[in-house]
Amino acid sequence: MTLLSQIRLLLPARLTSSLSAKLTLFYAALFAAAVALILLVAKTGISQYAERMVAAEMVADAKVFDRVATMRYAQLGDASQVLSSDFGFREAVATADAPTIASALDSLGSRLHLDQAFLVDMDGNVIGFRGQLSASEREDLRQALDDGAASGVLRLGKMRFNAAAAPVKAPVTIGWVVFANALDARELAALSKLSSINLAPQILPAKDVLTRQNTGAITEERVQGERFLVQAFPIASFRSDEPQVLLLRHSVTRALANYAPMLWLLLACGLAGIVMAGVGSWLLARRIARPIIALDAAARRVAKGDYAQVQVETNDELGTLADSFNRMVDDIGERERQITHMALHDGLTGLANRMLLREHLAMALSRPATDRRQALLCLDLDNFKVVNDTLGHPTGDALLCQVAERLVAIAGEGFVARLGGDEFAVVVDDQDRPLDRTAHDIIRAVAEPCMVNGHRIVPGTSIGIALLHIDGDDAVTLVKHADLALYRAKHGGRGIFRFFEEAMDAEARKRRQMELDLHEALSGGQLSLMFQPLFNLAESRVSAFEALLRWSHPKRGMISPVDFIPLAEDTGLIVPIGEWVIREACRTARHWPDHVRIAVNISPVQFRNPGLNTVIMQALAETGLPPQRLELEITESLFIDNPATTLASLHSLRALGVRVALDDFGTGYSSLSYLRSFPFDKIKIDRSFIMDLLSSDGATAIIKSITTLAEALGMETTAEGVEHASQLDILREQGCNQIQGFYFSKPVSKAEVGGMLGAGWGPEIRKTG
Amino acid sequence: MRSLILCALSLCLVPITAQAGTVAVHVVDAAGKPVSDAVITIYPTAGVPKRPIRFPWTNEVMQKNIAFNPRTLIVPVGATVAFPNQDKVRHHVYSFSKPARFELKLFGKDQTRSYTFTTPGAVALGCNIHDQMSGFIKVVDTPFAGKTNGSGDALIPAVTGGAARVIIWHPALRAKSNEIIVPVQVPDTGTLTRRLQIATR
Repeated sequence: MTLLSQIRLLLPARLTSSLSAKLTLFYAALFAAAVALILLVAKTGISQYAERMVAAEMVADAKVFDRVATMRYAQLGDASQVLSSDFGFREAVATADAPTIASALDSLGSRLHLDQAFLVDMDGNVIGFRGQLSASEREDLRQALDDGAASGVLRLGKMRFNAAAAPVKAPVTIGWVVFANALDARELAALSKLSSINLAPQILPAKDVLTRQNTGAITEERVQGERFLVQAFPIASFRSDEPQVLLLRHSVTRALANYAPMLWLLLACGLAGIVMAGVGSWLLARRIARPIIALDAAARRVAKGDYAQVQVETNDELGTLADSFNRMVDDIGERERQITHMALHDGLTGLANRMLLREHLAMALSRPATDRRQALLCLDLDNFKVVNDTLGHPTGDALLCQVAERLVAIAGEGFVARLGGDEFAVVVDDQDRPLDRTAHDIIRAVAEPCMVNGHRIVPGTSIGIALLHIDGDDAVTLVKHADLALYRAKHGGRGIFRFFEEAMDAEARKRRQMELDLHEALSGGQLSLMFQPLFNLAESRVSAFEALLRWSHPKRGMISPVDFIPLAEDTGLIVPIGEWVIREACRTARHWPDHVRIAVNISPVQFRNPGLNTVIMQALAETGLPPQRLELEITESLFIDNPATTLASLHSLRALGVRVALDDFGTGYSSLSYLRSFPFDKIKIDRSFIMDLLSSDGATAIIKSITTLAEALGMETTAEGVEHASQLDILREQGCNQIQGFYFSKPVSKAEVGGMLGAGWGPEIRKTG
Repeated sequence: MRSLILCALSLCLVPITAQAGTVAVHVVDAAGKPVSDAVITIYPTAGVPKRPIRFPWTNEVMQKNIAFNPRTLIVPVGATVAFPNQDKVRHHVYSFSKPARFELKLFGKDQTRSYTFTTPGAVALGCNIHDQMSGFIKVVDTPFAGKTNGSGDALIPAVTGGAARVIIWHPALRAKSNEIIVPVQVPDTGTLTRRLQIATR
């Protein structure tokens, strides 16, 4: 990798950034390294081979020289032997017949083409030598022959010979015949030709060469930059005191030069190989990179939402990758479709959700209006909450699914959506049947009894209808108007449908305005309390005041609680308003005499609010009003929804020490059972019974029974809405404890309360005796 | 002729010289091994007796088993040596030695040739047919001569007392004419023992 990084440093970045370039460079560099290694090894190998070859050639040459010399010596020896054995020659030698000897030597020498043929006698006299010999040479020669010299290289004067000797015996040795041939440059050149390389053979006295070379080792010499291998071989010497060597030398430099063309060729092949490796890996890398580029392009297209497939037709890893990529793209597309489906559909019923409904409406609205009417039907299930609460959510969900199926079946080609909870919407036109007929069919279909999880349920539904283009030109408006119509339908009684009317919208707007104003009223001090006294008949004095809420609207004047309390209850504003009422009532009542209580109405919404206890405690603590002077009035309707919870809440209120009165007794779903289950402090008899006192005889009996019952249970009774003296008379007769009503006093302001508490103030009460 | 006269003279003189000793020579080579067939001759400074020389061995060199026997024979000057051939093959005895050059060409079994040696010196005998055959005849002009036996010992009795030259000759002796000269003092009586070491080929 360091090699690559070095290459990268030397090249522009763009050349090394692509995969193709990287691979090309890597393989070219790898091949170059291999070529360099091969060249190095080849060069070393050739060098070693050349040296070995030279050494082997030297040894071979020396052996050849040795063999040739041996052969020569044998020939010379044989020839000299022939002469020395000749009887006549021996006689000539024995008789020192020099002319005869010389002629015999000359004759034989010529015949055998000898360079020298001479005789040495026992006294060292030499006969027949061609040339001059000094006395010492003659003596040395005689001595050598006397010592048994037989053959070898013999140096005489400046000449060197291959010489062989044979003794002349008669029969004792009387001299020696010596035959010799010159060992000159010509002879050595002939030897040199016997070897395949020029070894430049030289014969030298051993003393003239280096000691190292005499041991037979190959030595190196450098002459003017040329490297030579030199080896000396000992050869046979005629005189044992004058050893001779054959010195061979060869230039390794020249030997290697013979291989230079091969190395150049190898280098050229290597360079060609590097180019081929580069081109080849470039092409291969291109082949590899092309599918990668295709994958990259496909990935970019997929990122843009185009589920492109990539075509790679190789069977290798890249082909597998392409297959995986294509599968992944398919899977992503499938998942995206699922997610989209989930985003636009209801998970439980599989129907379209609110968002898809909006899109559908927008699409339908974008088409030009035709003579066909299209309508949005919003519906919800009556009392679905009860099903959920009593039979459990699984049953509720199953019911919703069944209803969804029915809606889909009845809607035909219409569009069905679930808006959430038990709300559904259907978009239909009046091509097959009139819209009211469709709505009617839906109500009837939904109302079919069904079995859900083993429970027999009879669902019911109400429908609000808004017409496309007519009741709104956009989805939001249409849904809002259909909802308003539904609201009205539910208020008008369940199991019916209502078309949207403009008035509904106006009313809704009014309600919304009032809601906004009510917020304003609470913070802007527009709310006030009026107090209506409760007259204790036995004590003939005011024993309590009922706090009544008044709203003084800056534009619309006084607004009746009947108009805004339901709204406050719907919006939850009743909680802060109720809180204010309790505080204000307590604050006012604390200035009153101890026997005068303050009664406050508690709305069902307020009652169910878990913060009620805290509010009451804080109000009492802040004002210092004794708890028993605070009377909370609740209505019977609380017992309908959840009697157990209501009882628990009542007991916890009672634990605070406050009084609890049952308001509007006798209306609604009055049941005697809850009178038994909770010890109310007081029962307030509904004004409808009081009004009937004058027209119906039975009413008196009812009053009597109520007062009797209350007395039996230890509860006080208060009659509301007393307007006539005759009513008062009856009530007194029947044992009612307190009265309240216009006959006695209409509600008064805080300031007026003081006057009513004075002694002797009271209605004109006729004593019945 | 003169030698014959001299020989007769010396024979006459022997009884006169009363004082004479024995010379015992032990010859060894460079390695100390006994050298046999080394010829010892003694020349008293006073001169050799003028009388005929006679040795106790026969003047005969036999050819037997393709060899000369004895290998070395000492003969006085003027002696005639017989060369009987006892082999089945024929021999061609020759000598190129200066004191006596002769050839006894191709004689067969039981044939005897003879030659008379008139000059003192060493005569090398050879056979022209059998190169390996080699023998020597030492022609001496002194009566005090002998050759070493296998133990390298030679005993020469009755040598004239006084200074003398002892000459040791052997064909393989490495010296000029294959001989060395040793001056000695021969006792008038008794034995002079000398150990002589010679260099041989």
